Amino acid sequence: MDTLLQLVFSGIALGMIYAVVDFGYQLTFATSGTLNFGQGEALMLGALVGLSLVGTIHGGPYMSYWLMIPIVVVFGALQGMFVEWIAVRPAIRIKSEFGWIMSTIALAIIFKNVAENIWGKDVLPFPSPLSSTPFEVFGAKVQTMQVAVIVGALLIMAAVELFNRKSIYGKAVVATASDRDAAGLMGINTRMVITFSYALSSATAAFAGALIAPLTLTSATMGASLGLKAFAVAIIGGLTSGVGAIVGGIILGVAETATGYYLSTGYKEVPGLVLLLLVLAIKPSGLFGKTAIKKV
Amino acid sequence: MNLKLLLASLLALVALFAFPTLVPNPYYIHLAETILIYAILLFGLDIVVGYTGQVSLGHAGLFGVGSYVTGVVVVKLGLAWYVAVPASIAIAALFGAVLALPALRVTGPYLAMVTLAFGTIIQILINEMTWLTEGPMGITLTKPALFGHELNEVQYYYLVAAFMVAALLVVHSLLKSHLGRAFEALRDSPIASDCMGVSVYRYKVYAFVISAGFAGLAGSLYAYSEQYISPNTYHFELTILFLLAVIMGGRKTRSGALLGAVIVVLLPSLLADIDLFRRIAVGAAVLAVVGSAIALARRRTTPRRVAVPVIATLLLTAVSFKLDNMIDWRLTIFGLMTLFVVYYLQDGIVGFLRQLAGRGPRHASAVAVSPGSDPFAGTAVAAGASTLLQVDQVLMQFGGLKALNRVDLTVMRQSVHGLIGPNGSGKSTMMNVLTGIYQPTAGTVAFEGAAITGRTPARIALSGIARTFQNVQLFGEMTALENVLVGLHHTFRSTVLDAMVHSPRYMREERAARKRAAAILAFVGLADLANEEARNLPYGKQRLLEIGRALGLNPQLLLLDEPAAGLTAPDIKELIAIIRKIRAHGITIVLIEHHMDVVMAICDTVTVLDFGQKIAEGSPAAVQADAKVIEAYLGGSVGSISSPGNPAPHQVPG
Amino acid sequence: MLSIHNLQAAYGKVQVLHGISLEVPKGQLVTLIGSNGAGKTTTMRAISGMLKPQSGSVTLGGRDITGLDSHQIARAGLAHSPEGRRVFGNMTVTDNLLLGAFPRYAGARPRGDIARDLEQALALFPRLQERRTQLAGTLSGGEQQMLAMARAVMLNPEVVLLDEPSMGLAPILVEEVFRIIARLKSEGVTMLLVEQFAAAALHVADYGYVLENGRIAVHGPAAQLQDDPKVVAAYLGGGQAH
Repeated sequence: MDTLLQLVFSGIALGMIYAVVDFGYQLTFATSGTLNFGQGEALMLGALVGLSLVGTIHGGPYMSYWLMIPIVVVFGALQGMFVEWIAVRPAIRIKSEFGWIMSTIALAIIFKNVAENIWGKDVLPFPSPLSSTPFEVFGAKVQTMQVAVIVGALLIMAAVELFNRKSIYGKAVVATASDRDAAGLMGINTRMVITFSYALSSATAAFAGALIAPLTLTSATMGASLGLKAFAVAIIGGLTSGVGAIVGGIILGVAETATGYYLSTGYKEVPGLVLLLLVLAIKPSGLFGKTAIKKV
Repeated sequence: MNLKLLLASLLALVALFAFPTLVPNPYYIHLAETILIYAILLFGLDIVVGYTGQVSLGHAGLFGVGSYVTGVVVVKLGLAWYVAVPASIAIAALFGAVLALPALRVTGPYLAMVTLAFGTIIQILINEMTWLTEGPMGITLTKPALFGHELNEVQYYYLVAAFMVAALLVVHSLLKSHLGRAFEALRDSPIASDCMGVSVYRYKVYAFVISAGFAGLAGSLYAYSEQYISPNTYHFELTILFLLAVIMGGRKTRSGALLGAVIVVLLPSLLADIDLFRRIAVGAAVLAVVGSAIALARRRTTPRRVAVPVIATLLLTAVSFKLDNMIDWRLTIFGLMTLFVVYYLQDGIVGFLRQLAGRGPRHASAVAVSPGSDPFAGTAVAAGASTLLQVDQVLMQFGGLKALNRVDLTVMRQSVHGLIGPNGSGKSTMMNVLTGIYQPTAGTVAFEGAAITGRTPARIALSGIARTFQNVQLFGEMTALENVLVGLHHTFRSTVLDAMVHSPRYMREERAARKRAAAILAFVGLADLANEEARNLPYGKQRLLEIGRALGLNPQLLLLDEPAAGLTAPDIKELIAIIRKIRAHGITIVLIEHHMDVVMAICDTVTVLDFGQKIAEGSPAAVQADAKVIEAYLGGSVGSISSPGNPAPHQVPG
Repeated sequence: MLSIHNLQAAYGKVQVLHGISLEVPKGQLVTLIGSNGAGKTTTMRAISGMLKPQSGSVTLGGRDITGLDSHQIARAGLAHSPEGRRVFGNMTVTDNLLLGAFPRYAGARPRGDIARDLEQALALFPRLQERRTQLAGTLSGGEQQMLAMARAVMLNPEVVLLDEPSMGLAPILVEEVFRIIARLKSEGVTMLLVEQFAAAALHVADYGYVLENGRIAVHGPAAQLQDDPKVVAAYLGGGQAH
């Protein structure tokens, strides 16, 4: 029973990271109808840049973990703007779905290759800012960092939601997602909104990377599977609902950790795909998504 | 097939089979074999990516399925290649169906996401299921045995070459058939495709399953070729290479797939040799700079547009001289090449060369109209109840907005029924409800006595209702003839296999369809434009072509959505004449139109909608004089231009 | 205030506007009427930047705004209440109105007192006042039209473009809409009104242009046009050549 609780807790922590990455997908999908197939790489770069700042690999440590976080977020934002400028904007202009899918993938493999050359291909240890001695909750051993991950993920998603609801600029983003032409008539520069949503999307991914790094194996290859899992979350939870992202993330995270323990670590990726296919077959818009009536 | 092409193909065939004799080095023979195997997969991938425009990120996985099915069948089950190869094809195709059936039901990047997941999972499963696949240890095979004699390297090469040629012919036949037209149609205009009876969903699935089969075949041949397979061959990088090959070589061409295969197979060796790479980088930079300078001088482009390729190639050259080897940067090179091709070389190298040579893609050319061929053959004037279409209390609600508010409509057989009303009155909504694009919130639609509410647009089209669109929805990259042939898609009973080999049944049906299409084109006055790409036709002709395409469905009911919009006066005269002739053949017509002259000239009955409701119905003259109609169009209550007792001077029907 | 000169526009291959010219003097209500397919909405879109004109010019208060992006034109002071309302369905009435004032927040237009303007707009449209926290997508057609007009006014614009405000509305709501338009006119708002309901439009306007097949067929003071038989002919056919 204790093991189960522990697995559930680890699963939730992992699932929250998936949720944050999926949240990033939703941000850009809402405003531009596109998403970044290299979102996992944005997370990976966040983790590795963070490592360079707080670890010894590049002559550091240069600062504490908590100071590193805002720097990584800014880096993520810049990286997101770069992706939008190079990969997405030209595709939107020629209205090609194939275009942005292929070019965000192309950028993803470039980022991964560059990361491999800068940080090497090996797994690197990430210094944890919090004590790694676990404390007990209902008999299960829980690490403080896991709690930090869950809290951090919820905080960032809440912050973005708050921004969307309270700030006029946030409302401008929601308006762009709702009706881009009408938003333009309001004096909203919708091109900049799209750039902003990509910046925000990568920034949250980078933040998630810095959060999860102390708990997991940090390397240049960590991004690919995370981005993919977040796709599964996007399909399970729906590409339009923040709540769906969290619920979908938790379902996937728990399923994965449970499979990894009870079956074998090799198989832990499998429930994601099975769930994904099931949901697509039964309710394509996801458990929480809305089926839109297409107007012709 | 023209003489030049035939000669070139023969030459290529000779070179292909003479290769091992000319270059006896087994390393190069094996390399050529790999190129041919990749080409087989790429032929299939091109159907998905080049024709239907979908992105598949899992073809390396399907390739792996093919290899491992062969490995397991041969090594574990001890069966021969003539069991292994078909099994690989079948099982890969099955996986393709499992992926495509759910993923393609929704629009969006879902196929890409699902196939990405699939590719990852397959590699993991192959790794983990050691009881079946030997996991990371891999499976070792020997070459297949033909008549008890195990093939050697050169003989296996010939076998692979034969398979490649067969695959090429099969794919080519398939894509030149009605199925190939369906694939192109669903990409050019999905909505028109559905309304012409070609279900977009179904054909996207066909395309993916067929490509999966080819990937399985390639995988099977690959297993024999390498004689050793292991899980880490079938990784994401391989999928990217496949995609790069298709788009760099050139989509929608077989030569593009072959060229792409050559490039990606030779690429790693190229990157290993840094001197060769440097020379090529310099060459590319020179090409970019000189090409851009010429284009700028001729004012064909702007500095902004050439900035990126020029800077990129210069940077690449600089970097290649700074580094000692490019192998570590292999993936970056792939990524950069992909970016470049996606934005600057959208039709690939073959497409680019064709453009330079001034030639576009080849199309099926039209036959001459044979005398006595009837454009309306197959459209039986069905006797039946006099009411053809019955719309009962249809309600169409979007959120709080009632676009159609409990409308009744009765269309009599063989009449021309006009549907008019001010902007926003619900006419186009009605059109979309009748053709199944919208499901009504309430109410029913019955056609020839049977309820059609709830059917898909493709099924409704095949039941005998054809339509044209307010914003012309032609298949732009296809010729006028090919557009009409898509309308005639339903006349083909041939299966995928018939199409792949151009069986006698298929040839018969194709010939009949072409004759009928020629007759239809002559009927709408487009006989001499039959081989023109639809997007190059003048606007008036495009509208007539849409009508011709709709006639191909052998409709009992033809729905015309603002056919006169944007037409000049002589075009409108031609349109009216054609509509009259269609009606004379017994086809019922419903016409949405704003040009009152057209409505008055040809309609028997006119229904007027306003605010989602029917406000008047009757003969054109009666409707034109109806006070409620005048009020609906011009506004009555707040100061009238013409009130019921005071008609405006020019109300005489003319 | 708003000057259009020899404007030509096309959708793809279809030439819709063949060179139209019109003037909207400050403080006046000018109406552009014509049957469906004449090009009225195309004209509006070409003015507000939703569609790039092929040639011709659009000048707002002396400033050339031809060919600019729609958000730049809005920031210059041209508010467009588009065909079909296009309110932001998943946002509240209040949020929709605040977004109308977006350029004022962003500094592109003089800020003024946005909160006060919001209350004034809601006072002008009592039905919206009752529903200020409701999601715009749940409003009826008439209420959405009022929201779209109020949203346009929130910009404190130089000119308001009203595109077919009566479309799809029941007669009683059409009356209300035109009452509001008359009220706005009395407050000195410069407006260009595109309408299919020629009678109502000419009744409330100062000046009118009749559009037919992408050309101005006839124009003049609204009172004169009301009695002009050419106007009816342009709508219901019968008589004139294409």
